[in-house]
Amino acid sequence: MKSASTGTSGMFRTGRGINNINNRIFTVFVWGISACIVLFICALLYLILQKGLPSLTWDFIMGLPSEMEEGGGIGPALFNSFYMLFISLLISIPLGMAAGIYLAEFAPNNKWIGFVRICVEGLASVPSIIFGLFGIALFVEMFQIGLTIIGGAISLAFLNLPVMTRVTEEAIRAVPKEMKQASFALGATHLQTIRRVLVPTAISGIVTGICLVAGRAFGESAVIILTAGVTTSGEMWDFNLFSPGETLAVHLWYVQSEAIVPDAVSISDKAAAVLVFIILMFNIVFRIPLWIKDRKNR
Amino acid sequence: MKLFKTLSVAAMAIALVTSSVSAVSAASSLKGTIVVNGSSALLPLTLQAANEFKKLNPKVKISASAAGSITGPQSVRKGIADIGAVDWDASQDVPGFKKFDGQVAHKVAVIPFAAVANKNVKVDNLTTKQLQDIFSGKVTNWKDVGGSDADIIVVNRAFGSGTRVNFQMKALAGSDFLSKGNNYKEVKSSGDMKTAVETTPNAIGYIDLVYVTSNMKALQINGVAPSETNVINGTYKVWGYGYYMTKGQPDGATKAFIEYIQSAKFQNGSLKKLKFIPISAIK
Amino acid sequence: MQLDSTAQGPIIDSSTSELGGSIKAGSGNVLDRKNRLLFYNRAFKIACIASAAFVCLILFSILFFMFRTGVLTFRDVSPMTFFFSTDWSPENESYGAFVFIFGTFALTLLTLLISVPLSVIIAVFLAEIAPKWLRNLLRPVLDLLVGIPSVVYGFLGLTILIPLLRDVTGTNMGDGILAAAIVLTIMVLPTISRISDDAISVVPRKYRDASYALGATRFQTIFKVTIPAARSGIMYGVILGMARAIGETMAVVMVIGNTPQLADALFKPTSVLTSNIVMQIANVPFDSTWNNALYMMGFLLLVISLLMIVLVRLLQRKGAHQ
Repeated sequence: MKSASTGTSGMFRTGRGINNINNRIFTVFVWGISACIVLFICALLYLILQKGLPSLTWDFIMGLPSEMEEGGGIGPALFNSFYMLFISLLISIPLGMAAGIYLAEFAPNNKWIGFVRICVEGLASVPSIIFGLFGIALFVEMFQIGLTIIGGAISLAFLNLPVMTRVTEEAIRAVPKEMKQASFALGATHLQTIRRVLVPTAISGIVTGICLVAGRAFGESAVIILTAGVTTSGEMWDFNLFSPGETLAVHLWYVQSEAIVPDAVSISDKAAAVLVFIILMFNIVFRIPLWIKDRKNR
Repeated sequence: MKLFKTLSVAAMAIALVTSSVSAVSAASSLKGTIVVNGSSALLPLTLQAANEFKKLNPKVKISASAAGSITGPQSVRKGIADIGAVDWDASQDVPGFKKFDGQVAHKVAVIPFAAVANKNVKVDNLTTKQLQDIFSGKVTNWKDVGGSDADIIVVNRAFGSGTRVNFQMKALAGSDFLSKGNNYKEVKSSGDMKTAVETTPNAIGYIDLVYVTSNMKALQINGVAPSETNVINGTYKVWGYGYYMTKGQPDGATKAFIEYIQSAKFQNGSLKKLKFIPISAIK
Repeated sequence: MQLDSTAQGPIIDSSTSELGGSIKAGSGNVLDRKNRLLFYNRAFKIACIASAAFVCLILFSILFFMFRTGVLTFRDVSPMTFFFSTDWSPENESYGAFVFIFGTFALTLLTLLISVPLSVIIAVFLAEIAPKWLRNLLRPVLDLLVGIPSVVYGFLGLTILIPLLRDVTGTNMGDGILAAAIVLTIMVLPTISRISDDAISVVPRKYRDASYALGATRFQTIFKVTIPAARSGIMYGVILGMARAIGETMAVVMVIGNTPQLADALFKPTSVLTSNIVMQIANVPFDSTWNNALYMMGFLLLVISLLMIVLVRLLQRKGAHQ
């Protein structure tokens, strides 16, 4: 694995001891720290998954929640999680990508773009509770639609827009400019260049962005408690956009902080494990096309 | 009039605990959306009642959220909720909060509260005076109230929490809380309170009796243990009513929902199972 | 090579307009096709501008929304008191927010102090040192950490980290700014390291080859060539991580202790802007000074993060000129 880099450096090494020692120390140091962090992450994941996964049953995943008796499920909350994530991505991916492409490709390089970029980063730092309050002011008070899936999904999309925008911008900027010039030289228009050259080349970075955004949206609770409520419509497969939309993360919060059911601890362990497991799946599913593409290119 | 008739039919149907087809069809003529907001301590009760109510009235939609007690009556006043769940009677002044004019309070449950301590605490009983001293920061060591020599860690709920308002009024006789110090912290919810008291040695806090587990110690107050029996027989004083606030007298689905929650069937059935105390049990 | 990476922006932009122009002059013989392409191009550009404007619009509506309510605070409280008094006891009509402002700065700095070096090391490891199979395995795992709900982090912090800190240091409680910083570090680590990792990965291979050809060791190459070349991306990761740290609420609130006192020690229950807002916003009457003060704090939080972002950008530009 180190063949390319150390090989070349080995060939040209003129035997300066101190550099070599530094290099060794550095490599060991990085390996050490990384190993510690990786171990830590694995321990963390193990801790979460091990408490929940073994006792997971199909009934729990698809079942209706219960307030008093043991054995309540998470079905509607899980469904809402996916449904709301889907709607919010439907809004945030196109908008975020378009804004990112603007910043990377169209924006004049002056104070204005600096200003827009600061706006985007500023928006990224807005605490989720403030998005929640904003969501209430917008959907519940102004549009009077109450606590709904659509209100929650749009608020979530707002929360995710800045990350999507900036990740897209960075990814497109990182495309070597030769590729772009080559495309222009072949007579492609700007739009064609973006569609056929820039976005496909930058897709790995953009997918990272989508993964980050999807993961965050899936685990977000504060915004949804305020804009979509803590109830589900009480049935599976409810596609109504105006139903109350408790998601799995909100259910987890509820079970941890207020629920009275005797098996609350076990429900929260299992729900946390399901959440983490699904996010793991996201990461893998989103990556498969990239791996395939990688293979082809080789 | 017709509505009233339907309602009475519905109420009867519920009271008779029948799930026959005729009862369902009679009740299901009720339509509408009910939005409940407010106290998180009452949320399990609301959710359970909503589940049962929706089965009887499939056309009624109920959505609930819980941000905090005061949010309940406030949302009702703003018109963004039909029912505001709150842990005190918001149509009266309480310490820290003004009354809400034009709102009607409906009692829905009796909620007992308990002072709780970590398992390692040796003290079993505290007087009102001792509780006042501990929670106002005058007494800072367990040895001063008969325990071992260790700093008392005070865990408090945030200002405005319904549990805090009730505990202050009933257990501390209105005396003030301390608000800073090296051995003092505030938590956000009943669940956090439970975890904090369970895991912090020498901690003291207070919580709805429902959440008391075997991993913590419920303290006697003035020699009386917090229990359902002691609340009903009148010896344990630290309890309060849970209220549903509505703008004026409720009507339609909202009215039916409140009536359902107050019905003997729900009060003696699910409500009791959730470890609240039925309002009728208090004389 | 360093010059190239920092000056990348302007070069792209100038070449864009030149090359874009050549299309108009030369290619499309068929007038229809040319017009159509031009139309698509223009429509796409407008859509992109609109999206960017929309993002700004959201920020400004939120700023306006917070400010509109927040500014009412100063009807009852003088700005001097609000910004510089350490006495926050709204029950007694004193609204000094200095404790929270200070706490926010202290917590953010402490978090960055721990998380940035760790994240950059992890990023270097992923992009430069780790074997390919390990890299492909670790990247999704890091992404996974972002998705763990903050309530889970908070809960683990409360049940595992705090008792641990209590045992290790012998303090009474363990709550405080250090516990919060550790939890936040775990939360921002994947954001900073994954973005830095991407930035380091896209540094053109020829830079490294050139450095090795000059006889540099891997250590020298990474520190003198790769990291400087990827600086813009790493900086962006740090900004996003910092933004997340400033704005995080649900996890912080469970481990920081929520007590309005100055964070002058690592283990002392304290409070920051976010945790104080989230603890109290649901529990205060809508039109009270207290409520207004909380909105003002929210507004302040936004202003602080905007200022910090501007500051980081300025520092970065200064660094680029050297």
